[in-house]
Amino acid sequence: MAIPHPREIQLAVVQWLDERYPFTKSVDEALYQRVPNFANAFYYCFGGMVFILIVLQLLTGILLSLYYVPDAGVIGNSPAYDSVKYIQSTAYLGWLIRGIHFWGANILIIMVLIHMARVYWTGSYRAPRELNWMVGIVMLLIILVFSLSGYLLPWDTKAYFATEVTIKIAGSAPPAQLGAFIREILQGGAVVGPPTLQRFFTVHVFLLPALIVLLMYVHFRFIRAHGISEPM
Amino acid sequence: MDETTRKDGPGAATAATVIPIIEVDSHGGHVLEPEWKRLPIGPDHILYPVVVGLALFPILMGAAGHHLADDMPDEDTHPFFPDHFWPYPIIAVVMLVTVGLLAFFVQKDLQLEVPADPRAVTVPRPDWYFLFLFQFLKLGPELIMSLVIPPVVFVVFLLWPFIDAIGGPKVARRMGWKTWPVPGRNFITGAGYVIFLAIIALLTLWALAGPQFCLPWIINSPVCGA
Repeated sequence: MAIPHPREIQLAVVQWLDERYPFTKSVDEALYQRVPNFANAFYYCFGGMVFILIVLQLLTGILLSLYYVPDAGVIGNSPAYDSVKYIQSTAYLGWLIRGIHFWGANILIIMVLIHMARVYWTGSYRAPRELNWMVGIVMLLIILVFSLSGYLLPWDTKAYFATEVTIKIAGSAPPAQLGAFIREILQGGAVVGPPTLQRFFTVHVFLLPALIVLLMYVHFRFIRAHGISEPM
Repeated sequence: MDETTRKDGPGAATAATVIPIIEVDSHGGHVLEPEWKRLPIGPDHILYPVVVGLALFPILMGAAGHHLADDMPDEDTHPFFPDHFWPYPIIAVVMLVTVGLLAFFVQKDLQLEVPADPRAVTVPRPDWYFLFLFQFLKLGPELIMSLVIPPVVFVVFLLWPFIDAIGGPKVARRMGWKTWPVPGRNFITGAGYVIFLAIIALLTLWALAGPQFCLPWIINSPVCGA
């Protein structure tokens, strides 16, 4: 039996897909839909830049998690601290991956704020895009919680005391029982310690990425439904 | 029409026998780039899997609603691929190179301090994006500055589209304006936003000035940087 040419295999696959789903039509619609010329302005790229940075953060985060050990240990012997040190100094290109994750997070916050400023300035939050604005604000909050939770992970003195202050502020919510409950939830004990690191790690690596991916999906669905907003 | 009474008119011999029907709704009412103007990357092209990969993203995002471009003349619009898409791979590479260079040249901020020790004495200082909040907390009673004002500001931001839509026209009527423009053309919401950003910038700069930079204040005076 003659081996079919790869082009024939490709055509057969496309035909097979087309018989089950309007595949080529969907691809054409997605690729060749027209976009207003004003959307070529540079300030309409900020949202895309935020998306690129979030993907970069997810990828570098996965790579860092291969070596990071979320165990605070005891004073003077902290596997978490040692693992970050290992990533920074020994792991192949670890310093670069950690550097990209660190600077990517910083630039991400700047880009989110710039994107938000553009949306506000051009009135792109107005009807029918109110819900998308709200999703965006929640995503901003999530990105800030990402930064807060990620800050503790290296488990050095700076991270420890900055987190202690954050938890103290959150734990001072009235009434006293509610404040104590929040502190207990965040801290997992009487002081900032190994359970705190475990909780922050879980939030940073499992909960927040899932939430941000979900909200990004909702954000993009809204954008796809509404299209690009009119200029001012 | 009855076949017996039908007669071909002048020019029938050269006229198209089948009148092409443009199916406006075949693409959900959207105007697409005409086929003859598209890149010649069809289902038999070696690069077709690549364009399918690009198309998967919008496909997964669901059906497109009625977009502004659908009502615009052709000369005011362009196709998503490749005209609108091409800057993004370049932007992605530029951003990757930028963070890579920062990671390479600005190592200072990445260096670890000594391992966490609760017995250590240190003045905590948050990252730059929380410095304004850190400084703001010092300007009044802690409870109000930390747990009242920031959540209120957050809720105002969250509900801003509704505040703008309901309150804006009322203010416009009182001012004698015909419409309530977007913040970029609106003195009130535009200036309000600039003032808000200026306050955040000033608080950040104040914090960055360090603990030796102190200013008199109505509460907790003097208030120093972080």
